[in-house]
Amino acid sequence: MRVTRRRFTAGSINTLGLATAGLARPALAQNAPILIGWMGALTGPLAAPSIGFQRGTDWVVQQINGAGGIKGRKIEIVARDTQGDPTKAVNATQELIARQKVHAIWGPPNSGESLATTPIMARAKMPNLHPCVVNALIDPEKYPNAFRLAPSNNQWDDAVRNYCLHVLKIRDVAIFGDSTGYGTSAVKDSVAGFTKDNAKIVYSGVIDPNQLDVTPDLLRMRDAGAKVLVCWSVTTGLNSRILNARAAIGWDVPIVGHPALGTGEVGKLVDKPTNWANVYMVGYRSCSFGADGKLPARSQEFVDRVKGKIELADSVLWWVMVAIDAINLIGQSVGETGSTEAEAFIRHFNTLNQYPGLFGDYSFSPQQHNGYPTEEVVMSAANSQRDGAYALAPGYA
Amino acid sequence: MATEVDSMADAAAPVQRGWAAGALHGPGQFLLILIFAVALPFTANDYWTLIGTRAAIYWVLVSGLNLAVGFGGQLAIGYVALLTLGAYTASILVLGNLGPPWPALAALAASGVVGAIAGVIVGLPALRLRTFYFAMTTLGFATIVTQIALAWQSVTGGGIGVPGPVLPKPFDGTLGFYFFCLVAAGLCTWMTANIAHSRFGRSLLAIRDAEVAAESAGISKPGLLISVFLFSGAVAGIAGALFATLQSYITPDAFTFDLTVLFFIAILIGGRGSIIGPLLGTIILTVLPEFAAPLVAWSTFLYALLLLVIVLAIPGGIADLLDFANRKPLESNRAIVPRPALLAELLNHGSAQETIALRGVALSFGGVHAVDGLDLEIRPRQVHGLIGPNGSGKTTTLNVISGYNSPEAGSIVFGAHDLAHGAPQTRAGLGIARTFQTPRLIGEASVLQNVMIGGTIDGTATFAESLLRLPRHRRDEKALRDEAMAALRAVGLEALAPVRADRLQHSELRFMEIARALMLRPLFLLLDEPAAGLSTDEIQRLGELIKQISRCGTGVLLVEHHADLIFDICDHVTVLNLGKELASGTPADIRAHKEVVSAYLGA
Amino acid sequence: MLASIIASGLAIGAVYALIGIVYNTMFSASRVMSFTAGQVGMLGGVLGALFILRLGLPSIVGFAVTLLACAAIGVITELIAVRPVLSKLDQHLYVLSTLALALMIQQVTAIKWSTEPQPFPRLLGIGNGDPLDEKFWLPLLACAAVVIGLELLYRHTLVGRAFLAIAEDNFAARALGLPERNLRMASFALAGMIGGIAGFASGELLLAFFANGAMLNFYGFVPVALGGLGNNRGALVGGLALGLFQQAANFIFGGVFAGVAVFIVFIVALLAAPQGLFGATTARRV
Repeated sequence: MRVTRRRFTAGSINTLGLATAGLARPALAQNAPILIGWMGALTGPLAAPSIGFQRGTDWVVQQINGAGGIKGRKIEIVARDTQGDPTKAVNATQELIARQKVHAIWGPPNSGESLATTPIMARAKMPNLHPCVVNALIDPEKYPNAFRLAPSNNQWDDAVRNYCLHVLKIRDVAIFGDSTGYGTSAVKDSVAGFTKDNAKIVYSGVIDPNQLDVTPDLLRMRDAGAKVLVCWSVTTGLNSRILNARAAIGWDVPIVGHPALGTGEVGKLVDKPTNWANVYMVGYRSCSFGADGKLPARSQEFVDRVKGKIELADSVLWWVMVAIDAINLIGQSVGETGSTEAEAFIRHFNTLNQYPGLFGDYSFSPQQHNGYPTEEVVMSAANSQRDGAYALAPGYA
Repeated sequence: MATEVDSMADAAAPVQRGWAAGALHGPGQFLLILIFAVALPFTANDYWTLIGTRAAIYWVLVSGLNLAVGFGGQLAIGYVALLTLGAYTASILVLGNLGPPWPALAALAASGVVGAIAGVIVGLPALRLRTFYFAMTTLGFATIVTQIALAWQSVTGGGIGVPGPVLPKPFDGTLGFYFFCLVAAGLCTWMTANIAHSRFGRSLLAIRDAEVAAESAGISKPGLLISVFLFSGAVAGIAGALFATLQSYITPDAFTFDLTVLFFIAILIGGRGSIIGPLLGTIILTVLPEFAAPLVAWSTFLYALLLLVIVLAIPGGIADLLDFANRKPLESNRAIVPRPALLAELLNHGSAQETIALRGVALSFGGVHAVDGLDLEIRPRQVHGLIGPNGSGKTTTLNVISGYNSPEAGSIVFGAHDLAHGAPQTRAGLGIARTFQTPRLIGEASVLQNVMIGGTIDGTATFAESLLRLPRHRRDEKALRDEAMAALRAVGLEALAPVRADRLQHSELRFMEIARALMLRPLFLLLDEPAAGLSTDEIQRLGELIKQISRCGTGVLLVEHHADLIFDICDHVTVLNLGKELASGTPADIRAHKEVVSAYLGA
Repeated sequence: MLASIIASGLAIGAVYALIGIVYNTMFSASRVMSFTAGQVGMLGGVLGALFILRLGLPSIVGFAVTLLACAAIGVITELIAVRPVLSKLDQHLYVLSTLALALMIQQVTAIKWSTEPQPFPRLLGIGNGDPLDEKFWLPLLACAAVVIGLELLYRHTLVGRAFLAIAEDNFAARALGLPERNLRMASFALAGMIGGIAGFASGELLLAFFANGAMLNFYGFVPVALGGLGNNRGALVGGLALGLFQQAANFIFGGVFAGVAVFIVFIVALLAAPQGLFGATTARRV
């Protein structure tokens, strides 16, 4: 089956319909399905990543169930659309826990909703895998049930800083973001990181995402002596205006920052394709083309295998892969422990050491729930997207 | 929640039931909701308890907003700002980002205080600005609050937010917290119902539907609105603190514009000027999305559509649907039979000596001299007729006396003092009452409630006393109700007391306005064409009533087109033309005045 | 730096002024302030991009069709959200009915178009992002054209005079036998078109983005509030001043505080002069 965005929306509605029918299930039956709650912004302005996650989720569930399930138990996804709204996410979490009685939850990905739902899942001791980068979400003391499959924002930050200071070897940086919740806090963290590394921060600030003309801001950065721009904006419009304004004032300064710099939407809004050059965004080794135009072997094999089955061109490869990893991790846990009890999942996840997923090798311990390896986080060329993957930025071995 | 427990099981009690459509239909409906709410956590899982908690928290906010929007008609669409503020206040104080950490319950109270202050700041522009402008400024406030929450990172956590407070035992669990919120919701229901049943609630309806009538009854809009915004701000702040507790973590993006829209629709779907309606509306709107999950992408659209449909098709909302009492047909051939003899109960100004004297009053509108150097004296115990062709300045004269227009020259002397120009709300306190050419009424309120508005300034209980239903509030209500019934008996409308005012015939509304004016026990009564639209019989009865009012010591100024009525009952008549006095004297003098007869009486 | 602040300030100011004129045009005919004023501005951009980039119409045809569609939205506003509540004008139900319609327009655009800003076609191809780029002076040109066009319409045509008569006193106008209802519909169509012009001319600057509607609703209202209701010259001056102030504040205070500064100045100015700085008359109440 070819999985497209449209079909996925229809699919999720179908899942919802089934789920709300609320079939009474014996909790511990030998071949009762493994219930995995999945929530994300499936519609609305924040939907793009969740649509990618959804594609991976659906594909892997098909694979597992098609092969007979895990120890004879099928996986059943109970999907909830939060639209990224924390209020809806809190309701959905409680519903998945108390009403649907799911065994584990995958998601949610957006920061506001994750921050609100994490304590609730912790209270219910609900095993939780999520792909949200916000640092505060991982705290094995407070949230012993929550495991992160994506890098943390700190790891992103490290990658960006590392690239500026050690690959580009530039120390005069201008750091800015959009004045959204994410942008303001990312700028703050980034400034702290660069300060710690004794870089020279010549400018830092947030820009209104609706700002029409960012020429003055860029001129100000240039006059301050910036040699690289670190951008923590998630706003398509602002990102494209920055690229266009950079070209308009004829300033060939590298821009390094958030993955949003590389979305296809930005590509549509640049005045000339060249405006998008010399822009580097956070990426991952597992999802990056090398100089030979090939992905690492494991990833290349996956992409070849799902060609025509999962639409990758309008999505991002790691979104699809991490979702597959999440479901596989849950399934693998049931396979190993034979249990869908919360403690069994948590105990099992805590023992994982370099578990080979598609997106990366995950390692967890009772003290460390940030499972993604830091060295996997690299920079990619923002304008190089092909089938959801990007080319490694220059300077990496 | 039981608000109808009224100490007065006297003759007036049945009358009370029909009051502002749906504002209350006995405690039964509230009790039913309460029983259901208490039973909920024992019959359903934690998920439904959570939804119940959410509904209770939203209702804490909506109950207060309902007073401002549903009753007062102040369209504060940026109200989500107060929820945000309350949520952040409690969270920050408990977290200790500003000074030492506070205990959760103290922080909850602090949210109420901050909310109250912010409520007044958000609400105050309502005193100066027109509706749409006010709506826009509240939106502005909502944006400012969000921006500050984003920018003030050291305290608010910026985009990453802060954890919500956790209440102490036994309110920290799902069940404990649910009952905590339920009690808060119950208290809010009780308090807002108390206000709805007080002169404050009626005054709010009056400034919403009949602002000029409210002014002439001496209702002080600033004082009233400040009280209401203080209260609704406080409960919104507390709702915010509870919201933060429920969410367990707050970020600026939790406070969406959709929430504000939801609050508004809850009120409108419920029905403006009702308590039970918006309560049901809040419950429905909190629960509905849980059943309509596949439609979530279209939820904002559907909310908006619902709002449009309600505004256009059922402006009365659920409350109207529940208002069974007012669907019974009224007797069709009913006659108004005033009992002038009963007026003595209300009016006794036997020895009053003050007069109202106009000296050289002049006023023009866009170059047209509406009143042009007019002298006029209205004496106690007299009916003073004011006649003249259209545009001769009759109503303007009346407006100048009652303060709606400021004269450009001249003075108005009442007894020994000058009357303040352009201050209509000061007239009631001086005992000057009036009626209007087009009756000004609250259509959704009962006739009794409409009349009681006339006596608003006689109330002694403060807003806080009414909120808590303290003895002074109960005394006020009894006194006003008794007096309003007396006034209705005098004008012959007592049988219609419990009926919604907008079901009355036009002629009945004219008598209702007179009853409302009588609530002031006026020294002077200004009547603006009271006979317009009345039948001959009714005009005759009206004449007797007016005559008797003057015999009780009240000075009456009667602006009228019906010459018969004027000549029948007036002691003195002034004829105006082009804003000037054409003639003045006894009816007999005027009848003999050649110019008047040829120019105006046309005989 | 100064040049680009002035260029973008005047450009966005011209858009605000035009949306202010949309508010005024709707108000004059009906005494109603409509939340759809900003939405027609948004649609001007979105529909322009739809017709020209997606459907491939020539620019001039795309422009004409966009204007027609925006005029239709104006008429729909009148029919659905304004006419039914006109009889209860003093209850201000129009605030809610027009808000509801505006939200519906915005939501349909978000779902059917995109929640991300989409490109708007390059109309003339003059300039390359510098302060003299067409994206900065097209809105100013559109604003000047609309203001002059309206003056000519009001002064020199019968329909224009009828508009003025309605604005002055619609009871009297009706008494004179003017077709008040048709004139009101025509006014709303005209208002929709002006909004369409604003959105189309600023498409390159604002992009074809569903959230522009709410933004224009607010910032387009500021010049009306400051310039006086129904006063197009006030809206023009107020709009340009707001645009310049906003861009300067953005530059001086930075993202978050600039927004707060604009709102605070707006609220304070409004409280100081509720009728607007250029004055307006109050209606007779009793």
